[in-house]
Amino acid sequence: MAEICVERLTKRYREAVAVDDLSFKVDGGRVTGFLGPNGAGKSTTLRALLGLIRPTSGRALVLDRPFAKLRDPARTVGAALDASDVHPGRSGRSHLRTLSAAAGIPTSRVDEVLALVELTPARNRLVKGYSMGMRQRLALAGALLGDPRILMLDEPANGLDPQGMRWLRDILRSLAAEGRTVFISSHVLSEVEQTVDEVVVISAGRLVTQGPLADLIAEQRPVFVRTPRPEEFKAVLEIDGASVSTDGRDEVLLVHGLTLEHIGTRAAEHGIVVFELTRTASTLEERFLELTGEGGNVR
Amino acid sequence: MRALRSEWLKLVSVRTTWILLGAMLLIEAAYAIGVPAAQKIEDLRTNDVENLFIGTPLSTIFVFIVGALLATNEYRHRTADSTFVVTPRRERIVFAKLAVGLMAGLACALLFIAINAGFALSILSHRSVKVDADTALNIYLGMGVSLVLTCVLGVAFGALIRNQAVTIVLGLTLFFILRELLTSILGDDIGAYLPGPSLLALQGPIGEDDLLSQVGGGLVFAGYCVVIAIAAVVATRQREIT
Repeated sequence: MAEICVERLTKRYREAVAVDDLSFKVDGGRVTGFLGPNGAGKSTTLRALLGLIRPTSGRALVLDRPFAKLRDPARTVGAALDASDVHPGRSGRSHLRTLSAAAGIPTSRVDEVLALVELTPARNRLVKGYSMGMRQRLALAGALLGDPRILMLDEPANGLDPQGMRWLRDILRSLAAEGRTVFISSHVLSEVEQTVDEVVVISAGRLVTQGPLADLIAEQRPVFVRTPRPEEFKAVLEIDGASVSTDGRDEVLLVHGLTLEHIGTRAAEHGIVVFELTRTASTLEERFLELTGEGGNVR
Repeated sequence: MRALRSEWLKLVSVRTTWILLGAMLLIEAAYAIGVPAAQKIEDLRTNDVENLFIGTPLSTIFVFIVGALLATNEYRHRTADSTFVVTPRRERIVFAKLAVGLMAGLACALLFIAINAGFALSILSHRSVKVDADTALNIYLGMGVSLVLTCVLGVAFGALIRNQAVTIVLGLTLFFILRELLTSILGDDIGAYLPGPSLLALQGPIGEDDLLSQVGGGLVFAGYCVVIAIAAVVATRQREIT
């Protein structure tokens, strides 16, 4: 049983399609990044999973059930959708107390999660005096109140400084290490790259790809070749079935479809000097842009 | 009970609630002291019943706003997200808010009556103006119930409308301000059953002939509260939290 299961989910707002026949599953015990450009449908999908909006068609399930049918939702799923969703005239502690009371969670747990997110010194300050980073920590504290099995966080790294990012990364990793499912949407790709095990990439409401982060980044990485005879070597490699492009520099070839060993051997056989031969290290951001292109807006 | 405790905490943990309550009680105290103290003895003797009624219309506005804020703050500050994630059965939240509105209205009513009775009756007694005990009891009962129901109405109307400014402006206009205009358009027979006149009837006999009886006014006004509360529950269950 998948912890989170989205099946052919479609959500339309009048003529606009926010999510379009989207399907994916998220397994437990790992951090899964939910990636996509702005307007790709990430927040809409999270809201459908949390029962805040009704799908036009399809299903969004948590532990094989619609969210509203969970036995103890607050202890099953902890969610933080927007760090600004707090009454500014309440203290951080009061805000959490309203949530803990609704979930039947003892007040002592409020103080525990405040300490966990390092907000204890600011617990009695009004939220309107909190920085964005503090609000993010408060939102995470709210999500952790019920010690839930599944965490769903929408852009949790927004507004965090580098120390805050590192702190978030560490806490999310430790939560996953405890066997929890952590599902985070983000467009701060550099942060996600260091945090997630798996990714679900969507664009324009549709699934683009899903899988382990390492596979996604490794997939189709070209081999970088620098040679003084690029045209001649390109012809040799294309005969071997490679797809060869350039990056604009005269001596550089980007070779798809052949191994490093094959390319090096062919260079030796043809007496072609090679200055540099290496597998390019593509980043998540590069792969993300390749996969999603410009088509991220809601249609 | 969980939702009830949470909603009560929401009410008492924001300063606005206490400011509104304080302002209501201060204004009521000023009225309850000022009017019976400043009026001529002859006027007090001819209008003694109305002297007990002083300040009530303004207080109903305050408690309506308290109720409206309890419901609309969820949408104004987008806390509805976390509220409905923790409690997905949304009708429980609306029922809890209505119950908290009732409790808050009751607290306001008791404080209002204590201040009104404490000051106004003492001053009237000091100035040798007799007030019929049964009439005073009826009026205080009516004032108390009207404050409780008005707070509940504020919650229900706010939960139905969602937008804070629209709830307060439209609510005050419909229920309190347009009373005479609507009555003149619809006629006294129908007009007496409108929210404003029925609330006025509930608050007690103040010399207006075109109103329903106190009990009748109370029942009609309570009916409005129930209908709007049902509409709020249905709307809250159906609406999308985006």
